[in-house]
Amino acid sequence: MSLLEGLRFTRGDSVVHRLDPRVKFLMTIVIFVAAILFMKLIPLVVILVVQLPLVVVAKIEREWLKSLKGGLFLASVIFITNLISFYFFQGRVLTTENVELALTLTVRFIVLITSFSIFFLTTSPDKLSLALEKARVPFEFNFAFITAIRFVPVLADEAQSIMDAQRSRGLELDKGNFLGRLRKYIPILLPLIINSIRRSLELAEAMESRAFGSTSNRTNLYELSFNFRDSLVLIVSITVLALVIYLRYFCPPIPNLFPPGRIL
Amino acid sequence: MGIVDVRDLYYTYPNATSPALKGVNLTINEGEFVLLTGPSGCGKTTFCRTLNGLIPNFYNGDLKGEVKVAGMNVADHTTPELARQIGLIFQNPDNQIFALIVEKDVAFGLENLGVPKEKMMLEIDWALKMTGIDDLRDRATHELSGGQKQRLSIASILAMRPKILILDEPTSFLDPIGAERVFNVLKTLNSEHDITVLLIEHRVDLAAKHVDRVVIFADGRIVNNGPPEEIFTLDETRLAGVGIPKMVELTQRLMTKGLKFEKMPLSPEAFIKQLDKLLPKKGIKHVQPSLNAELDEFINEHMSPVIEVNDVAYTYPSGLEALKGVSLVVHQGEFVAIMGENGAGKTTLVKHFNGLLRPTIGSIRVHGENIAKKSIASLARKVGLVFQNPDDQLFSESVEEEIGFALHNFGFKDEVIAKRVDWALNLLDIERYKNSSPFILSGGEKKRVALGSVLAWDPDIVVLDEPTIGQDHAQKERLIHFLMQLRTQGKTTIIVTHDVEFVAECKPRVVLMADGRIIADGPIKEIMTNVEALSKASVSPPEITKVFSKLSRYGCPSDVLDVDEAAYIIHRIVEANT
Repeated sequence: MSLLEGLRFTRGDSVVHRLDPRVKFLMTIVIFVAAILFMKLIPLVVILVVQLPLVVVAKIEREWLKSLKGGLFLASVIFITNLISFYFFQGRVLTTENVELALTLTVRFIVLITSFSIFFLTTSPDKLSLALEKARVPFEFNFAFITAIRFVPVLADEAQSIMDAQRSRGLELDKGNFLGRLRKYIPILLPLIINSIRRSLELAEAMESRAFGSTSNRTNLYELSFNFRDSLVLIVSITVLALVIYLRYFCPPIPNLFPPGRIL
Repeated sequence: MGIVDVRDLYYTYPNATSPALKGVNLTINEGEFVLLTGPSGCGKTTFCRTLNGLIPNFYNGDLKGEVKVAGMNVADHTTPELARQIGLIFQNPDNQIFALIVEKDVAFGLENLGVPKEKMMLEIDWALKMTGIDDLRDRATHELSGGQKQRLSIASILAMRPKILILDEPTSFLDPIGAERVFNVLKTLNSEHDITVLLIEHRVDLAAKHVDRVVIFADGRIVNNGPPEEIFTLDETRLAGVGIPKMVELTQRLMTKGLKFEKMPLSPEAFIKQLDKLLPKKGIKHVQPSLNAELDEFINEHMSPVIEVNDVAYTYPSGLEALKGVSLVVHQGEFVAIMGENGAGKTTLVKHFNGLLRPTIGSIRVHGENIAKKSIASLARKVGLVFQNPDDQLFSESVEEEIGFALHNFGFKDEVIAKRVDWALNLLDIERYKNSSPFILSGGEKKRVALGSVLAWDPDIVVLDEPTIGQDHAQKERLIHFLMQLRTQGKTTIIVTHDVEFVAECKPRVVLMADGRIIADGPIKEIMTNVEALSKASVSPPEITKVFSKLSRYGCPSDVLDVDEAAYIIHRIVEANT
């Protein structure tokens, strides 16, 4: 779960936070594409090195480290399974190239986590929804998205209360076989579902009372402003994308970092 | 013609057999502050929903009669159209906040109306200022306290500039300080901005002094309607099962003894003013109140301790330090109330008693044994915890199964279970619902099922978390009676509450908590007169005690809690001095 922790927006303010979400999204995509195109350690390390200052400028080091810690297990799995499969499929031989490839895949994974962390940690759902609105996504969908995010902490609290109440009535969730345990979740899921239905009715009433849908010309408190800095980032991102494609398809292949050799 | 005009209103919910509203007639004039009260299920909430068109637009059903709001016939307009005239605020603040940021939530209604941004900013500024939360403007909505959330709900409605505000039990989930702030906001809006307010509320003690008029609702009808001084003294009001403000009760008691009051006081201040008129300015003859020594004063120190909390600190995974070194001993057969404002650590503390939470530092003993290694299930056998909201635990097809659930978990034999379930049904007076679904019951009945589902296994220690929240006067009376019954059975009972009037009636030992610590612990009379500790815990003393805190110059004791005792003392003083 801590992997997702790193993707939860926490309020903050920095140059990265203030970027137009559309531009920021493009930037994330460029990094993503670059990471997918290259299968070599050197360019991926370069991308990671480029990302680090962004993390620092956005002041999200702590949250980023948290998501890395959450991703650590998966990263190790990627690294080790690759090594093991190379070793066995090549007939009990392991070369430096194999290690480099396994390392490449692991670094790529970290690059991807980092790029999504930067985007989600610095983009408030409000701005995200605004960007969606600008992209002509109907407001109803947008509203559902924001409401879902808004109710995550509320539902988490409620689930906790329900678990507490049922465990106080002697429900032991961690006893019994797999099927038995599954059945034990009924006393927890049922109140949660019923409460959610009740809640959605109350929400609908409150929405009506707040004039939801009274006019098709809805206004918005927040506006997206596309300024000089945004254009700059936009231009840089597109240039980088072009450069990445050029390097990958029109230049000689990038050499390995480690000299060839046999380890095992 | 009033700003609200209701004529011969009848309404039946779809699929219901009997009508929820049975001929309501009501006129509210512009600028009035009206309190509407009545027992749970009397149709108050249904009535509100007819005023902004949620009924019949949203709920359908069968509506007869006429509802006019600000000159508009509600039947001809949709709820969003009416939103500019009439704003409805609901009980649960969590279910009416839509945005992640405070100012964005206030903007929600305005955005829906298509108000341009510049105008929107002005309205948001005004609404936040009126509700006193302008400093919270950029905060995340889920970080607010219950009281702040409810004031945000008011601000969000207010921003649309309605002429009428309707609030449906807005303070049910709030502590007294939070509730008082909400009432003060309403008072200001009413008196300084001429907004008509219709407040639906069970907490008449807190609300009565602010309002111009009281409407008593019972069984889908208005049974009484008039100024609070008059309405609360009528027998019909009492018979409708509505709570009477403590000051009215006290004054009436004194009037039957021959004392004459010019005007019915609704607040302790007003009562003292009236009393001062009855007594000479100088040369007061003091009387020694010859009250028999209070039995409650005994703390059962000779009994064995059943719960021992040793210097416990608890920090939630989020880093929130909820308990910061708490020590407490509860003895066999004791009745303890843990009080303090929301977030003081009360619920966190009681969740340690059956192992739901384990202390970060310190230890807990139950019946002399350290519970660190014991499972929740084995502890729950001894410590029965009943939570605040019955909806968080009801899930069975019938009330019988619901009550038997824990007994099955604990491995009781079937014939024992059947016996115990019948016993619990009988104890809580819900036998007639044995085979009904728990979901069709009223709030108070659900609460009793939840209580029964814990008492069924006969735990030695019963812990009730906020038992009075959302309960009407009759339910509270029933609960008091029930608690007394538990007490005579020798059960150790612990309640967590911020309902000070309720505590004043049950007279338990009181443990005051503030900011994760116990700041006072003792007999109720001692705690309710400890002004410093009370204010630190944000608990205000009972109304009667408030009066007596100002009567020391007449030689009165300050630790008076109930109406009988208060009437007795005041009567003797007035007699001695006239």
